[in-house]
Amino acid sequence: MTDPLSAGSAQAVLVQDKGAKQTMEMSSLIWLRADYHLPATYSCRVPMSSITSALALPAPGPATVRLAPIRTGIEAFGVEYVQSTLFPHICAMPIHIRPPERVALTSHVLRAYKVEDKTQETNEAPIFREMVHAQGSVTVYLQVPSHLQESFSSILRMIGYWGQASSLAWCTEISAGAPSTQECVVPLRLLRGDAPLRPFFSTILSEFRNGSVTWKEVMPVVRERKANPLRLDVYVWPLMLTEHHGSGKLFVRTPFGELGSNGPNKE
Amino acid sequence: MHEQTTSPVYEVSFSVRVAWQAHSLSNAGNNGSNRLLPRRQLLADGTETDATSGNIAKHYHAGLLAEYLEAAGSPLCPACRTRDGRRAAALIEQAAYRNLSIDQIVRDCGVCDTHGFLVTAKNAASDGTTEARQRLSKHSLIEFSFALALPEHHAETVQLVTRSGDTKEEGQMLMKMTARSGEYALCVRYKCAGIGMDTDKWKLIVDDERERERRHCATLKALRDGLLSPQGALTATMLPHLTGLRGVIAVCTSTGRAPLYSALQEDFILHLSALASESCRISTFETIEEFHTHMRALIETTRPALPAAWEHHD
Repeated sequence: MTDPLSAGSAQAVLVQDKGAKQTMEMSSLIWLRADYHLPATYSCRVPMSSITSALALPAPGPATVRLAPIRTGIEAFGVEYVQSTLFPHICAMPIHIRPPERVALTSHVLRAYKVEDKTQETNEAPIFREMVHAQGSVTVYLQVPSHLQESFSSILRMIGYWGQASSLAWCTEISAGAPSTQECVVPLRLLRGDAPLRPFFSTILSEFRNGSVTWKEVMPVVRERKANPLRLDVYVWPLMLTEHHGSGKLFVRTPFGELGSNGPNKE
Repeated sequence: MHEQTTSPVYEVSFSVRVAWQAHSLSNAGNNGSNRLLPRRQLLADGTETDATSGNIAKHYHAGLLAEYLEAAGSPLCPACRTRDGRRAAALIEQAAYRNLSIDQIVRDCGVCDTHGFLVTAKNAASDGTTEARQRLSKHSLIEFSFALALPEHHAETVQLVTRSGDTKEEGQMLMKMTARSGEYALCVRYKCAGIGMDTDKWKLIVDDERERERRHCATLKALRDGLLSPQGALTATMLPHLTGLRGVIAVCTSTGRAPLYSALQEDFILHLSALASESCRISTFETIEEFHTHMRALIETTRPALPAAWEHHD
């Protein structure tokens, strides 16, 4: 199976729809680059981290970057167009994510309320959630068929948050441009074996299971038992810890190559 | 036929600097009876600053919105009528609401429609005591950021206060309360086009345009009041002094996002002003009076737009 993240130079996209029918669509591909200003604190939760003690990512992960165009695409173009035209490409397209230049993570105590089903008694409990403040844009790169460039550009421009809805974002620029993979998040398995990992921010991220994810698996409104469309993997961000400040941590973007590594392997 | 005297608005955003003196609007908790702990956020430039959470701003906006909707004669669900923060999720265990649908929730409650709700999915119990439940949800149409103090423009004063113990034997207890003052950067986004819609499918549920307008006006009025009359924690004894309000209101008139820019940046008004276009109206304000004037115009002359996907629907 082609890994969407490692198929960066492909000139043909394997499009699998509804898990069965496979078509090979020959089309020229173009890298779209979208820059997002993050005007306030945000919090994209690390997969598997407890909701009562949520760790935050420095930027959205691959699954979030695939899911956002589906939701926003429905707003812009309606369900039918997204399902029939865009969705197969959203599942299969190579993507890269470049985190902001500097990110500061702070753990916050929040109050959570839970009402017991049987007694209807309200309980209050402290929960923890990391919030992130960033300097510089988060950049998302999508490789899309050139005939769909306009649709994808419109959608990227309309994405207003990443992850949690209050994690506000505003698209400042869309342009054509290939990613510098040295500055983008990468699966650990694609890093060189002798690369110095320790200083980098590493975390679990979710990504679409593979290109055969179906519409019914992703859309939450369908009344069917579904297979999990996501898989988990360990990823490494090109971010190095530079400072501890109370409960806060400050990371600065550092390209993988600058520490002597040759960056991610090309598969 | 309802005469159209208002213009459609798709989304509104607010990037503001608000100055509060001697407040404690949002706190991280307390250290026993010893000290009330302020909320702190590390910024990407390495400085630590004061913060108030968006959760508390949203909570108070929902309460005020419910009051405005009741006054306007808009329907509220039984949960929102009693200001239950779970909104529609509070109803699902009641027999009358077992088969609650998203259409019913959005149609019957302006607060659930605007602030969103989440009824979690549930698997059926193996012994048959509970039935399976479908997830029902709508994202909030209004989003509040944390308010972050400008690093060079905030201060904290610890006040020693006394309070009585539960019994006479416990006597007086001492506690340190923090009063914070500063200029805070805050962003708010309001997606008006989502009013009366199922925003998962972008399907129109409330097709009575007057009702959509009522909800829209109430949402804007609650937003205006929240900035002009601060709400949050400990206001019973530490109601903040509002000493300044400046910023930008961006109004997107057709499908798209209204721009937001961090008011921590000194030149944020300049940046946002440069983005004015035919479909993006930018209004700046330097005083509370100017803000009030812009808000009055928004409330009196706009209505929620319909999304492009819906307009092309038939």
